Amino acid sequence: MKNRIKVLRAECDMTQEALAQLIGVTRNTIISIEKDKYCPSMKIGFRIARVFGVGIEDVFAYEEEKDGPACDDN
Amino acid sequence: MVILMKYNTFLILSVLTSCLVASLIGWSIATGYLIIPVIAIPLGVMVILACRQNVDVVLRDDRIREIHSLAALRTLEIYVILGAICAVILYSYIISDPLFPTITGRSILNDNGTRSMEITMYEPGFPGNPEHIIRSTNIHNVDAMNEFEAMEYSEFRRESFLDNERKGLVGITLACGIISQLVLFGGFILYYSRKY
Repeated sequence: MKNRIKVLRAECDMTQEALAQLIGVTRNTIISIEKDKYCPSMKIGFRIARVFGVGIEDVFAYEEEKDGPACDDN
Repeated sequence: MVILMKYNTFLILSVLTSCLVASLIGWSIATGYLIIPVIAIPLGVMVILACRQNVDVVLRDDRIREIHSLAALRTLEIYVILGAICAVILYSYIISDPLFPTITGRSILNDNGTRSMEITMYEPGFPGNPEHIIRSTNIHNVDAMNEFEAMEYSEFRRESFLDNERKGLVGITLACGIISQLVLFGGFILYYSRKY
């Protein structure tokens, strides 16, 4: 799962800490999502999109991988 | 002024309080002071509840919950296997008990005021049967033993504490199990926190 959170954050001049507080998660979660290490739940995804005032598909983009799912479950 | 504590501090305090109450219960059972648990248990609950009131708000988002659940799942998977192995070892140890030799002792008060003792070791499964004696030692004076007699005497004494040793073994196994479980759980949390 690819995302544009870093770009959207830069456009809004928002820190990771501020975004984390707005959507009710820790800063580490924002870092992990930005680095594509962690797939957020739909609830968090929609909250992020709402903070930036865009649609969820403008923040997240699903990319099919050849050798497995986009996010590792374990 | 109310001092707020972190959730982990609250957990440590709760565990320590529970251990203290449990040790008081164990001690009261051993000594017969049965009033102690009646006071200690409500007091322990009150301390834990009072601490719970002063815990800082914990932010547990989806990622932290997922990391914790993955760590718990992996710990559980490992401990089901380890627990089964430990249970089989302990059970086989207990059912093998009749295969150990039995040591008995008989104390005699002599006419001259000294105490003598006859210590007999029987073959496994035949305690008290004179046809299955492995060896028998007669200590002429319990208050003036030679080295060999003292060794036999201590072995006999150890036999009488075997039940206590077994209870201790179960307690230590449980304690080590819980400690290693917590360490493993912590290790998995660190691993998954780095991974995600």
